[in-house]
Amino acid sequence: MRTDTDRPGLVGSSVKRVNDPRLLVGRGRFIDDISMPGMAHATIVRSTIPSGTVTSFDVADCEALLVLGVDEIAAATRPIPCVWIAPGQEQVEVPVASRQVRYVGQPIGIVVAPSRAEAEDAVECLAIDLAAEDGVADSLQALEPGAPLVYPERGSNIGVEFPIGDPSELVEEAMASAAVVVSRRLRIPRIVPSPLETRGVIADWNPGLEQLTVWMSTQTPHHVRDHIAHSLRLRADQVRVVAGDVGGGFGSKEHLYADELLVCLAAMRLGRPVKWIEDRVEHFTATFHGRDAYHDARLAMTEDGTFLAIHTSITGNLGAHFSNVGTGPFRVSAVMLPGPYRLPVAGASIRAVFTNTTPTGAYRGFGMQEAAWVRERLVDEAARELGMSAIELRRKNMYRSDELPLVTPTFQEYDSGDYGRALDLVDARVRAYAPAPPASARIRQGIAVATHVEFTGLGPSKAQDIVGFRLGGYETAVVRMEPDGSVFVSSGVMGMGQGIETTLAQLAADRLGVPLERVRVQLGDTGVAPYSAAGSIASRSMTVGGGAVVRASTALREKILRIAGAKLEVSPSDLELVEGQIHVKGDPRTGTSLEELVTRAWLGLDLPEGESPDLECKYVHEPLNISYPYATHAAAVSVDLDTGQVAVDAYWVAHDSGVVVNPMIVDGQIMGGVAQGLGIALFEKMLYADDGQPLSTTFMDYLIPLSSDVPTMVMDHYETPAPHIPGGMKGVGEGGTIVAPAAIGNAIAAALPEIAEQILETPLSPGRLWTLIHKAGLHDG
Amino acid sequence: MKGYCMKPGPFRYIAAQSVEEALDVLASAEEDVAILAGGQSLVSLMNLRLARPDIVLDINRVPGLATVQADDSGARIGALARAAVVERDASVGRYVPALITAIGHIGHPQVRNRTTIGGNVAHADPSSELPGLLACMEGTVTLASASRGAREVGWDEFFISVFTTCKEPDELVTSVNFPMAPGWRYAYDEVATRHGDYPLAGVSMGLRVDGGVVQEARVSVVGVADRPVRLSSVEAAAAGQDASAALARDMAGIARTECPASDDAHVSAEHRRWLAGTLVSRLMASMVDAA
Ligand SMILES: Cc1cc2nc3c(=O)[nH]c(=O)nc-3n(C[C@H](O)[C@H](O)[C@H](O)COP(=O)(O)OP(=O)(O)OC[C@H]3O[C@@H](n4cnc5c(N)ncnc54)[C@H](O)[C@@H]3O)c2cc1C
Repeated sequence: MRTDTDRPGLVGSSVKRVNDPRLLVGRGRFIDDISMPGMAHATIVRSTIPSGTVTSFDVADCEALLVLGVDEIAAATRPIPCVWIAPGQEQVEVPVASRQVRYVGQPIGIVVAPSRAEAEDAVECLAIDLAAEDGVADSLQALEPGAPLVYPERGSNIGVEFPIGDPSELVEEAMASAAVVVSRRLRIPRIVPSPLETRGVIADWNPGLEQLTVWMSTQTPHHVRDHIAHSLRLRADQVRVVAGDVGGGFGSKEHLYADELLVCLAAMRLGRPVKWIEDRVEHFTATFHGRDAYHDARLAMTEDGTFLAIHTSITGNLGAHFSNVGTGPFRVSAVMLPGPYRLPVAGASIRAVFTNTTPTGAYRGFGMQEAAWVRERLVDEAARELGMSAIELRRKNMYRSDELPLVTPTFQEYDSGDYGRALDLVDARVRAYAPAPPASARIRQGIAVATHVEFTGLGPSKAQDIVGFRLGGYETAVVRMEPDGSVFVSSGVMGMGQGIETTLAQLAADRLGVPLERVRVQLGDTGVAPYSAAGSIASRSMTVGGGAVVRASTALREKILRIAGAKLEVSPSDLELVEGQIHVKGDPRTGTSLEELVTRAWLGLDLPEGESPDLECKYVHEPLNISYPYATHAAAVSVDLDTGQVAVDAYWVAHDSGVVVNPMIVDGQIMGGVAQGLGIALFEKMLYADDGQPLSTTFMDYLIPLSSDVPTMVMDHYETPAPHIPGGMKGVGEGGTIVAPAAIGNAIAAALPEIAEQILETPLSPGRLWTLIHKAGLHDG
Repeated sequence: MKGYCMKPGPFRYIAAQSVEEALDVLASAEEDVAILAGGQSLVSLMNLRLARPDIVLDINRVPGLATVQADDSGARIGALARAAVVERDASVGRYVPALITAIGHIGHPQVRNRTTIGGNVAHADPSSELPGLLACMEGTVTLASASRGAREVGWDEFFISVFTTCKEPDELVTSVNFPMAPGWRYAYDEVATRHGDYPLAGVSMGLRVDGGVVQEARVSVVGVADRPVRLSSVEAAAAGQDASAALARDMAGIARTECPASDDAHVSAEHRRWLAGTLVSRLMASMVDAA
């Protein structure tokens, strides 16, 4: 990676990730690594039909420690609240269990036994009758007259409908006045999040203390804690959620599922610890999916390619009920649709549809991957129609840096940066690329770009409230210097493999002038960490959580310097704190050791008037605005006309995510993100039969990229500090996934101009591409 | 109620120490016995409870079943020989290089470390590479039972349908034989969505070329039907023809009409047939170049 800022100190340094040595030698502590005396094992009983009713749930002579069926569960729990509520959304909470089943995988009971195998044996003995009804899986089919109704009492499968952005009259006026309107129906299919570690939980109820301790693989410990307490009618302080190592989440572990709650309930009933590990087959239907939307989209422009308007009508598949985030991904698709382009008019209409499928929720890219696919495909198609270079068309319409900050027609306050520079950097890389000539005349090559602006961080809390998102947007950090001079940092954000423990330590160590090894970051335990409403979602750990660490560390540093100043009888502003020493700037001999000062401070000694002895600072960071990183990606692909196979030969990224705390980790986030984006582009799709029976239930029929499918990436980074964020960081967790499918799709379209206008839907699998190629006559002669 | 599962149902485990012991267990057991070799297919089926054997008969400790032998009459591979071992065997590489190529397409190195050649063939997955090569080479499978001794059956008799072979419940596969005759060369190629996946189509080709003329050809395809299929019209069309680019094109064209195929959720029948043709012409090109 190349950055254009060289800073002394730890920020900007590619220090190694602090957790890796432990994880690499197998000393991680994931849920399934934890075993407790007396622990029993649970399996969840699930609906095997897409639609119908549980007519009876009979324990029969089933040998188990505990069996809870639908009715018992419903009586013992309060529904789990939805968190992001759309205008007009009637369903604002979801029962933990119900006799009405609406998707395959819906939990209808729990069985606990001494081992998982015995629990699974016991399920086979249950006598459960399910009365099946017709189901529907596809959101457009669900809107057809006579389609099976997921909620018959509603009379229609439309969950909610609402517009975003400019009013439709304005949009239609702009479309009508335009010389060129490119319009397409695009589709982004369902994605299964597929973290390496599936979900998992151990719950332990202490009947004496009336305390529930829950070890869970989660991105949002406090949020989950709140919902467990709510649903089980406990006080918040009775529930402690501990998240240890988390083997990936990608959005799928950002809320409380009924499954985990059932395990808590079972542990309370049994009075012994109960473990449940999500099976990979379960993961395909029991964990909320990502994506699944149709976009009827239009991009309008003048004859010379000046953009006039963009609009999309989104038909989004909610699944069987509103997930915690409900229409959130569709809404974010809408608000981020304009991307980096000057679009005087922009809007969307959202129609969210119930189907008999697993609910859809958060997945890396959250609506923005869909927006990028739609917009960037339209831009490339426009370039083709206008006979212009796709790069020139982008350059012409991109906001210039002197136009920022500004508010888009979809209410986004783009903060800072130079969008054109990312495009220029990638353009230069692409121009310098000399691909090896194709091995045969049956191989086509194509190169194209895609670009985006991204919404990262979540916050401010008031803005969240305006859009119906009942989730505080702030983040808190506690930074303490212990009597021995070591540093303890705690925050409510979560590590899940992204390296946040390392980068938060870098921020604190940098401000406090101590070596990195002297800093320990404690996350994930509601008994220790400060409250976090949102946890680690929305690429916010660094930009919001890191901002809090910056402020708390700075406050602590100031306090230490005040104490030192009093002791040395100099002004604190004349002091500096470097490598465990405090001394007068420019005079390394006049000073004091940090450790000595700290030890005495905790003894209550050497303190100036009014200074308390604790060296602990807490800062609640409520961002004034979220941060908007952006990037341009380019892909070079080869397409085999005879097989339909695509190889991504080269890949470039130019990115501005504000201040880069650890370039190696940022590279890793982008590479991993691009790998997932490549999966979306080429392989991934959760398949359902028309009636809602899932057809993808193992990694045999749902393919994700292998390391050999992922190309080497060339990355250029530059930094425009986020103006609203202490430390200047912008989010970097999702950008790779957001743009990569569009970059790869555009490159495939460039390789195959004959079918470019039909490159509208992912995955661009051999099956899909071959059929398009064949129909276009490219196999004739 | 059928649950979601990741643990096998209850079963009895027997680790045989000899072929005789294994055959005795197979002969005497009244319940359903599953032979455990590399476990790369059986264990996942058991975890999903799609296989519910009463007894798991582990043959991994049985001595003498992992032999690998190759010479100019072909390769005789003991049922327990691991794919990874055969893949690195110098004599197999010299005499039956197509077997090495085909094995290289089975999953990934980790999978091949466990996969046995006997298990792979006994499993009879219709997309599996080795059954296709066996069909092309007119190979055989040796089966043994306690009461009837050993018998050697041709591929055509052995492979019946999806996961179904002529193996009787009391029989054990003891070796898989890939015969070579003078003048023959074989090759294998496939198209899979990702490298290591079961192929969308996989073609094995055998040629006997003399003086630039194809004397005899054998072509088999996997991934297109419920068992490996031989493309006899393609074979017939090649016999007696100059080994040329024109012949390759003709053979590909015939393959695209003759090859059976059906649609699935991922690829169409037409696509599979097209792939069979593409692979036929690619194999022809590489084999004739290499001649
Ligand atoms: C990720 C992955 C990818 C794979 N990709 C491929 C691929 O591309 N191509 C491919 O062909 N395979 C593939 N496989 C399957 C793999 O090759 C299997 O191991 C093989 O099909 C079975 O061999 P095994 O030794 O593991 O047998 P096991 O799983 O132990 O047994 C399989 C079946 O054969 C029976 N059996 C085993 N040995 C004998 C014997 N000696 N006599 C009688 N019956 C016996 C068993 O009872 C069982 O029914 C893949 C597997 C995995 C996990």
